[in-house]
Amino acid sequence: MPLVKVNGIAVEVPPGTNMIEAAKKVGVEIPHYCYHPHLSVAGNCRMCLVDVEAGGRGPDIACNMAATEGLAIRTDTPKVTQMRKSVMEFLLVNHPLDCPICDQSGECRLQDYYMEYGQHDSRLADAKMGKGKRQDIGDQIVLDAERCVQCSRCVRFSDEVTGTGELRLFNRSNQTQIGIFPGVRLSHQYQGNLADICPVGALTLKDFRFKKRVWWLKESESVCGGCATGCNILVHHQENEVYRFTPRRNDEVNKSWICDQGRLSYKDVTSLKRLTGAKVDGQRAELPEAANAAALLLKGAKVGVVFGAKATTEANWAAVKLVRARLPNARAYVIEGNDPDAFTYQDEILVDSDKTPNRFGAALTASQLGSVGDAEALKAALASGEVDALLVLHDDVVGRLGVATPKALVYVGTFKNATSSAAAVVLPAAHYIEQPGTWINRQGRVQRLRKTVAPAGDSVADYAAVDAIGRAFGGAVIPEMPAAIFQELAAGVKALNGLTLKGLGHGGQLITLFAPSPGVDQPGQAAPAK
Amino acid sequence: MSDVTPAIKKRKLNTSESIYLVEVLKGMAITMGHVIKNIIGELKGQSTFDTMEYPEVRKPVNDRFKGAHRLTTRPDGKYKCVACMCCSTACPAKCISIVAGEDADDPIEKFPVRFDIDMLRCIYCGFCVEACPKDAIRMDTRIYEINAFSRQDMIHTRDYMRDLMAGDKPEAEQWYRENPQHSPEGFLGEVPPVIP
Amino acid sequence: MSETMLTVILALVKCVFSLAFVMQIVPLLIWAERKGAAYIQDRPGPNRAHILGVRAGGLIHTLPDVFKLITKEDVVPSHVFRPLWALAPIISMSVALVTFSVVPWGDQILIPAEIAEKYLGTTGPLAVNLQVADIDGGLLYVLAMTSLGVYGIMLAGWSSNNKFSLIGGLRSAAQMVSYELAMGMGVVAMFMTYGTTRLDTIMQIQSESILNWGVLLSPPVGLVAFILFWVSAFAECNRNPFDLPEGEAELVAGYHTEYSSLRFALFFMAEYANMVVASSVTATLFFGGYNIPFVNGAMLREHIDLVLIAIGVGGGVFFLFAASIAFGRRKDPFYAAMEAFKGPRPNKLAPVGGLNGLLYRALHDDTLRQHEWKIFTAIWAGAAAAHFGLIGLGAMNIASGMPLLTEIIVFVTQLNAFVVKVLFGCWMFIWVRWTLPRFRYDQLMDLGWKYMLPIGLVNILLAAVWLLIDANTMRLYAAIP
Ligand code: SF4
Ligand code: SF4
Ligand code: SF4
Ligand code: SF4
Ligand code: FES
Repeated sequence: MPLVKVNGIAVEVPPGTNMIEAAKKVGVEIPHYCYHPHLSVAGNCRMCLVDVEAGGRGPDIACNMAATEGLAIRTDTPKVTQMRKSVMEFLLVNHPLDCPICDQSGECRLQDYYMEYGQHDSRLADAKMGKGKRQDIGDQIVLDAERCVQCSRCVRFSDEVTGTGELRLFNRSNQTQIGIFPGVRLSHQYQGNLADICPVGALTLKDFRFKKRVWWLKESESVCGGCATGCNILVHHQENEVYRFTPRRNDEVNKSWICDQGRLSYKDVTSLKRLTGAKVDGQRAELPEAANAAALLLKGAKVGVVFGAKATTEANWAAVKLVRARLPNARAYVIEGNDPDAFTYQDEILVDSDKTPNRFGAALTASQLGSVGDAEALKAALASGEVDALLVLHDDVVGRLGVATPKALVYVGTFKNATSSAAAVVLPAAHYIEQPGTWINRQGRVQRLRKTVAPAGDSVADYAAVDAIGRAFGGAVIPEMPAAIFQELAAGVKALNGLTLKGLGHGGQLITLFAPSPGVDQPGQAAPAK
Repeated sequence: MSDVTPAIKKRKLNTSESIYLVEVLKGMAITMGHVIKNIIGELKGQSTFDTMEYPEVRKPVNDRFKGAHRLTTRPDGKYKCVACMCCSTACPAKCISIVAGEDADDPIEKFPVRFDIDMLRCIYCGFCVEACPKDAIRMDTRIYEINAFSRQDMIHTRDYMRDLMAGDKPEAEQWYRENPQHSPEGFLGEVPPVIP
Repeated sequence: MSETMLTVILALVKCVFSLAFVMQIVPLLIWAERKGAAYIQDRPGPNRAHILGVRAGGLIHTLPDVFKLITKEDVVPSHVFRPLWALAPIISMSVALVTFSVVPWGDQILIPAEIAEKYLGTTGPLAVNLQVADIDGGLLYVLAMTSLGVYGIMLAGWSSNNKFSLIGGLRSAAQMVSYELAMGMGVVAMFMTYGTTRLDTIMQIQSESILNWGVLLSPPVGLVAFILFWVSAFAECNRNPFDLPEGEAELVAGYHTEYSSLRFALFFMAEYANMVVASSVTATLFFGGYNIPFVNGAMLREHIDLVLIAIGVGGGVFFLFAASIAFGRRKDPFYAAMEAFKGPRPNKLAPVGGLNGLLYRALHDDTLRQHEWKIFTAIWAGAAAAHFGLIGLGAMNIASGMPLLTEIIVFVTQLNAFVVKVLFGCWMFIWVRWTLPRFRYDQLMDLGWKYMLPIGLVNILLAAVWLLIDANTMRLYAAIP
């Protein structure tokens, strides 16, 4: 591996590593606009100019420098400072004084670098170029060409990631401006990412526009639950209110992108479809009361447990423990397919056809109870009366199968659907960003959820809701702390052996699955586990 | 060490002081002196007090006095405020709440749909004025009688703060109109001097 | 009318009079406290509340205060011991009032035989003692009652079930015990000198001559006894500088922290009632009670026409002076400000029409105050005229024709002398309060035990020596009128 030097600090990096990344490794930040780790290098903003000491020639742009043995750069010379100052001055020549009304302010590279490297006394004598402001260029995006610094990130994104190529930099020199081809509108499902990658406020998200100043927001890590991909996200929230989801970089899963469906799914957190209170026979009830009612229904009945592909692995594990401790004759089912109200879009970039985030988690835990029935088996069992009570986690069983409702149906879920209205007892589960837990995505990657905001209404974490039934039976079936539950889970499920919640880190851990899921492009190492 | 506080030495009381009585009488002579002086002043009609008969008599306030907030307007009558929230960020009392909206027909596309200041929480520090990049909020009204019959009314709203110094005054400021001699300078419509 | 009926009715009338006497002075004292404090501190004090513009120098402020205290919610904290808690303010107030019953407030009134026989059904003239209870141990009764007063405070402190109140109550008890001794020593010296504890007799002794007034008796016994008594009286009344039981800086409000509304008012009034009582006892013991210096009852009766003329001229001139001052105040800048003031701020909640509206305007229309000087000029001028009228009455030499009227005039004159002495005593209380800081607790105890008690004992010794030297001390001075 080549040894490079940044400001005299030696660091070993894989060959071909971008020098911006190499510098980051030793804690040196090289300011940049056009460079993006998941886009090709364009090298047109010149902000990343550094002094090359050895292995190159004169000042050069760091983003276009691959690490080679003996390369040494410096970012702390007066020359570099002067270069940055001049580049900033150029970039700001036509930039409007829009910060007070600009949504980007607070997370704007231009602001940040200006404060650090800028030419604070303006030497500009000529009038600024006026460009198109507030152009409606897509379903999700507003373009303000004046604020653009011509970094071409957005152009490369539409060329390389979505392949739609709607955006271009038009004209030359001072007149250069970003624009969209006439008669074209952004129509792909990844528009939100344009607002994220635009280092300034030229491309802003319509949905988030003027909603909140970003400096108020707190960011918490989570995982998107829209489909089986399990894109890593940051939840931006203030005072228990969620304002947006943004992608969190995970090179193995979603790079730096998320789809618009997932991005806007933050609205579900406060949607009117949320189940915010426990219900018994359609009447509002306290949670322990409802759990008691559920226990009464399940006790002695011929119970079928439908493991939830949208529930956390922990909740499914709690169901396993509940069956083992209290419902010894219960049968396990996992129902394939998507809920009727799931969005239908799918593509080859990120969005999976499977809209359940934890299919493997449900299957893995259900298999702990021996044989696992599928949709047909459940239908048959219900018809024949072999099962006359159901415990359902999240999945809209009624909507998916159209099964006749058994008289005793206990539903643990986040949203109202056909099953929740048919259920005799409803226990409200928190939204996935409101609770800790783990999901296993389509690659077999165990990813961690975190409690980012307080659960809405009376809802509790889904494993706690299942545990409440256990308590109603006479004793908790799982520990209280998420880490302890996961420990138990990791010990009890072979595929998860050896994992710890902390060990999952920010990017999750790949596990060995017993069966590959069809239609998955990056499956985990498939191996039967029995 | 020099940072030790020196012990305060108590003076020893002399004989007459240690009986208290003499000193007590001396003190009483002083206070009675004040009473007599003040009573004579009252009888003569020449008050010896510095007390002001508020509200009939008012102290003129300084030009830099920080009074009730007002929102300034552009020549076309729209709010100068662009809902940038710098003021609510700077506010140490966290008493400004703004909801931004989009004005479709204006190049300055952002404006405050709501702009509320909870005057019960405000500490009149003036940070909001300092923070504003648009000179949209000022505290130059010189109105210091900020009161109401309910907590709700103590929340000054966007339009109230715009109208505070011009045109139609809200109910609570009625009195100033009826007593122009007491109303703050500029209250009755003239634009107050712009502080350069 | 039977004898018993008469006695009962007379007793009732006297009771009501003595109660009214104390209770009337209380609001006056509250006003004096506020105004006095204000003047001592160079500020105008209460001067805004008014009825139809008349502020009476702030006297009106007491009225809204009373209304406020009556109409406020009577909060009973859940943690108090209810029976004693409710009893405590009643004890405080009633003890203060009851003590006054042994204090004589005037010479005997002699109702002439013809009137008494005709209207009251007695045989012969009727002599009425102006004192509710003429008991032998009058002075002891005073001591007994004042020491009962501490129960009110102690019970309040204890039953409030609150640390601050309890400490207040404890301090009060300790303080009372310490100073009662000193007070007792002072009084002992006095009744050794007087040779009696009966207040009526004491008054008669003092009536004989100004040199017989307690404070001048057997010098310096009387004077020292007076100082002991007076300082102790401050402590017994819990007044500054001895108001540690309610030291607000450290004890919130001490024993009455938990009281509100009328219960608080009772404590508040008890403090002032105590001041009145302490002042009247002091006046009676040391300053000749109702006696006017150099002029005793007999002399008044003899020269009743001169007395009337003196009152007429004196009062007339005084009120004329007051009227001229009131008239002069029309130029007060305050009235000018009022003139310029265009009216009160509109108050949405104010009633407009009807009786409520009128009442509201009478109490809240501040512009009415600019007429105040006219009203006062008229009142003082009227009073002056009435007094000049008295001169005519005197000239008619009514004394010879109407003995009962003579009695009444003598009574009123002496009562006035008594009131002046009492009020001066009360003013002393106020004056000291706004002059001195509060004592520290150790200073308080030092003063009580290390100084006042020994001085009291020595004083008793001195009194005994005087008795030995001249058993007829009083008679010695009796020659000088
Ligand atoms: S892009 Fe950045 S610098 Fe430009 S107006 Fe927006 S916040 Fe300000
Ligand atoms: S719009 Fe944003 S991303 Fe696109 S070129 Fe301009 S600055 Fe770069
Ligand atoms: S004056 Fe200070 S406390 Fe009041 S609103 Fe402005 S910033 Fe906030
Ligand atoms: S008043 Fe000024 S600082 Fe506050 S939101 Fe409006 S423009 Fe921004
Ligand atoms: S980041 Fe290197 S030129 Fe833009």
